[in-house]
Amino acid sequence: MLEIKNLKARVAGNDILHGLSLAVNAGEVHAIMGPNGSGKSTLAQVIAGHEDYEVTHGSVTFKGQNLFDLEPEERAREGLFLGFQYPVEIPGVNNAYLLKTALNARRAHQGLDEIDAFEFLKTAREKMAALGMDPKFLNRGVNEGFSGGEKKRNEILQMAMLEPELAILDETDSGLDIDALKAVAQGVNALRSPDRAIVLVTHYQRLLDYIEPDFVHVLSEGRIARSGDKTLAHELEEKGYDWIREAANA
Amino acid sequence: MITTPIDALRDIVGRFPTTRDEDWKYTDLARARDISSRWLDEGGTRPSETPDIADLVGDIDADWFVIANGRLADIPIVDGVSVEKINELPAGDNALAEFNAALLDSGLRLRIEGRPGKPVGLLFIDEAGSPSVSQGFVEVAFEPGSRGEVFEYHASRGTGEHYSNTILCIDIGDDAVAHHVRLQDRALDHVQTHRTTVSVGRDAHFESASFDLGGGLVRNDVAIDIAQPGATVNFAGLYLAGDGQHVDNHTRVDHRVGPATSRQEYRGILNGKCRCVWNGKAIVHEGADGTDADQANHNLLLSAHAEIDAKPELEIYTDDVKCSHGTTVGQLDETALFYLRTRGLDPQRATEVLTHAFAAGLVSRIPVEAAQEPVSRLMERRLGELIRSEEDYTA
Repeated sequence: MLEIKNLKARVAGNDILHGLSLAVNAGEVHAIMGPNGSGKSTLAQVIAGHEDYEVTHGSVTFKGQNLFDLEPEERAREGLFLGFQYPVEIPGVNNAYLLKTALNARRAHQGLDEIDAFEFLKTAREKMAALGMDPKFLNRGVNEGFSGGEKKRNEILQMAMLEPELAILDETDSGLDIDALKAVAQGVNALRSPDRAIVLVTHYQRLLDYIEPDFVHVLSEGRIARSGDKTLAHELEEKGYDWIREAANA
Repeated sequence: MITTPIDALRDIVGRFPTTRDEDWKYTDLARARDISSRWLDEGGTRPSETPDIADLVGDIDADWFVIANGRLADIPIVDGVSVEKINELPAGDNALAEFNAALLDSGLRLRIEGRPGKPVGLLFIDEAGSPSVSQGFVEVAFEPGSRGEVFEYHASRGTGEHYSNTILCIDIGDDAVAHHVRLQDRALDHVQTHRTTVSVGRDAHFESASFDLGGGLVRNDVAIDIAQPGATVNFAGLYLAGDGQHVDNHTRVDHRVGPATSRQEYRGILNGKCRCVWNGKAIVHEGADGTDADQANHNLLLSAHAEIDAKPELEIYTDDVKCSHGTTVGQLDETALFYLRTRGLDPQRATEVLTHAFAAGLVSRIPVEAAQEPVSRLMERRLGELIRSEEDYTA
């Protein structure tokens, strides 16, 4: 699904990723953990195609295609979804309109007809109910005046509607109370399937109590310092990130 | 038929405002002078037939008064509106008003009584031969306690050079409610100067929205006079401008007594090489205690060649007032653009979506229901043209 080889990237003149390699297969859930400044968000932004991030070395393939040949919108239509750490408020753009436009952009790419208006509303309402979202949010401006938890739920709603093949969720758990965290985790778990891969970027182990990852990777100074199964997350929780850094430098 | 001697007309044209006048600093009427002079040289004739207007207003549910090429066409009979032609106008206090009075074929005086069932439609349409000039003058008086709507639509046929000079006077009686929409969608080689004066009665209410979509050189003057307490005035404006356009909105609100509220919000979307001007003046006169005046002007510049000259002006001569103003000029939010692209929208679509969102706040405030669909439709069309005219919005 996603193959990252020796990736180096920089932003605003600072080298952040120093040769990162990672393979994610369909059906897998990966957690990428690491301290602040280790390059977690940079990795997410590079994969989504943010133009402020400059790739200086290495390759990334998505479903066998060179990811860097694709514009951000083409990546999205191919089935890549980035859940933002800080979802953007867009006053004046109706939430339902964005959902439908995004969905139809993906459907057109897949050779499907536009979604029927009735079917769209029905599906959106079902998914919102599952996420504990008031259906009124459909008619509000995108993330306009939403609380932190509402914004994150809205990201998960978009993901649930778009049914991506690869979802990268950047710090989706940050700033969530326990109810919102459970709702978000439930939304992610509902999407787990043999055809789909999920990458959770997170600082804390907490989210992984609700979404059980197949693999855990620890990022340190722009590369993966250690990989393991879910027990690695627990070990990190006990020993802290310094343990990895020391081990990596040893 | 021109009754004023040509020399007198030339004299008036020679006295049109120039950029040396403070109020006209950014707007050069050389094109209006030039078109007027050449038109006078050629004898000052106007097309006599009335252009077909069915496709413009046929679907809009209003009682239409048509001023075609400066001539008042057949006058409809409307319940709740009394109609009078006026042939003599006061000379006016500036050269543009004098020009209007000197050349006017026939003005229109409407009186709104009670609650007319439909909006009054005022269609100013010019089918330009090259070059041509037309005048329009309409007075709308709202009787005390009446409630009515006015939809003013400025349009054109053909693409010849044309100068249109129009005046609308709205007089709102005590306790009356007046809703007003102005839509200007002229050809890009038209010049228009338009003056709107509004006097607001005791406890009266004025709600207005203006849309400038076309025109090559456009100057709108709005003067609102609050001389009775209890008035509520809300007016908004949206101007869209692309290559070669110059759109100037000058507004002035005189608060002579309080309490009274006036709020204005203008928004502009500019692309290509163009220039827009917004100058909003609020004057709170001595003794106008309890005045609440707010002015806002926001501009979205989609091109490095677009220019906006925005100036809020507050003059306050009393103490017990609440006045505020705010002006912003900016580009599209890059973060929002990227967010939309990660949701599968290409840069073109993302730009359209964000630009429409910027305009949407004003479109949702159109106070004449019958105008909502046509204004939104024409606005969307024009916005689509504007956005497509530039190659790269993300650079």
